[in-house]
Amino acid sequence: MGTVLSLRGVRHRRGGRVVLDVAELSVPGGERLAVLGPNGAGKTTLLRLLAAVESPSEGLIRYDGAAPSSQNLVALRRRIALVTQQPGLLSGTAARNVELPLAWRGVPRSERRARALAALERVAVAHLAQRRAHTLSGGEAQRVNLARALVTEPELLLLDEPSASLDPEARADLLTDVDRATADRVTTVVHVSHRVEEALRLADRVAVLVDGHVRQVGPATDVLRHPADARVARLMGYDNVLGGMVGGDGELTVAGLETGMRPGLPSGPCTVAFWATGLDLTEPADGWPHVVVERVTAGPGRWEVALGGPVRLVAHLPMDAVPPAPGDRVSLRLDPRLVAVAR
Amino acid sequence: MSDPVLEVLTRSVVVSVTATIVALAIGLPLGTWLALTRRPGRRLAVTVVNTGMAVPTVVVGLLVALLLWRSGPLGGLDLIYTLRGMVIAQVLIATPLITGITVGALGLLPPGLPDQLRALGANRRQLVLRLWVEARLPLLAAVMAGFGHAISEVGAATVVGGNIHGQTQVMTTAIVEDVSRGDFRSAMAYAAVLLALAFVVNATLTSVQQRGTAWARS
Repeated sequence: MGTVLSLRGVRHRRGGRVVLDVAELSVPGGERLAVLGPNGAGKTTLLRLLAAVESPSEGLIRYDGAAPSSQNLVALRRRIALVTQQPGLLSGTAARNVELPLAWRGVPRSERRARALAALERVAVAHLAQRRAHTLSGGEAQRVNLARALVTEPELLLLDEPSASLDPEARADLLTDVDRATADRVTTVVHVSHRVEEALRLADRVAVLVDGHVRQVGPATDVLRHPADARVARLMGYDNVLGGMVGGDGELTVAGLETGMRPGLPSGPCTVAFWATGLDLTEPADGWPHVVVERVTAGPGRWEVALGGPVRLVAHLPMDAVPPAPGDRVSLRLDPRLVAVAR
Repeated sequence: MSDPVLEVLTRSVVVSVTATIVALAIGLPLGTWLALTRRPGRRLAVTVVNTGMAVPTVVVGLLVALLLWRSGPLGGLDLIYTLRGMVIAQVLIATPLITGITVGALGLLPPGLPDQLRALGANRRQLVLRLWVEARLPLLAAVMAGFGHAISEVGAATVVGGNIHGQTQVMTTAIVEDVSRGDFRSAMAYAAVLLALAFVVNATLTSVQQRGTAWARS
């Protein structure tokens, strides 16, 4: 069964600066937790601490209730696998790379080769077994790296943006492989990423890490629909994040527009976030008025329109719509189903 | 090859190979420790090692001779003018070289490699062995440099060994003696043998080394 992780009062300093400060975080066995955060948020530091290659400056990380000690450190690390951004393959063949962690765990030679081949097969690169590691492409090498992590059947799999250096297609394929390989939920997975679509791809829950602090943690869909604040909303991929106001009657006003929405928050300032697809362009004076189109670019399967006016916004229109030209005056209508409101 | 030359050659090889093996046994772990440690004073230690690489061999010979001299602190060991005394001097010459090159060789590996190996489950011994495998090409250069320096040095061999015929004379001290006597013919013969030996040893090690390089394989 996957490792149960618990972090309490974990604080880590580097060069005198606190780079990670996690008051409390628990990960049940077999869960897939995505840690989403911008560059420099402390994601890699968190994974290094979880992989037990570095000890936190303060606080404790428990694995199935037990804390690491100098006596059990190697044994603990052998229950964990870390997949880093760079494949970091060693000299020798792909198969030899995958066999190495087994050799270090005392698995007999006869068994090692078969298990290595099975692991390579799991990530669809068994045909590369006899290739020298340095002759592999980036995508191939990262798959071999993944096989090397999976071959020991780890209780805890730590993924540090494993697809970061790959092209979009290889990225999607790699995540599909990870998804398939861990679908049985016998491995606890902590997946770190700064791309929301990748984080959500492998996530039962999401923890949003900003400036070393966990800003929000919860089921992926909850965090997506109800981001805790503007920073989390931007990280969750909301294209438009702006300040709003909840009036005394509970109605939400954004940049002077009465939305007719009642978010159920007490009166006062709030954050309003919505996707570019949540905006409809209508005839002038029919909705949110006096918004001037500044720029029109084509995105994948859609028009992306940057709008200026009381606030700057981005709208996505379907490809079959006639895109407004720069300088056109339009009105906007907000789809309340695609709007998130946070304090 | 005449018997005396063969005898001197054998003596040279035995002394220098022994010294290289001992220097490797000290320098490789020491260099590895210096490369991996984060303790304060590491930089100073590496500087000391690098300085040791540049100390003239005759100065090393002088220091060893002072220690081993009959009235010196280690005089009781009776090692002055012996092959074992020469080995000690050559160990002191080769060890800083092997240590320094080991620090440099391991420093060339990706900085995250030790942690990556730990994360893959390596214990300390497995980690160090793997680092040596990954750095085997520059580490072979360390062996070549250590052996090359030991077999070619003349200062320490003269001061500590005394160039005693049939006992402590080695190739380099024999050349110096022949030249001082004006016997260039004999000196050239020794020099040719020494060069041939250096070539054979280095050719063997280079062949092992180049077999391992990426571009030579692909």
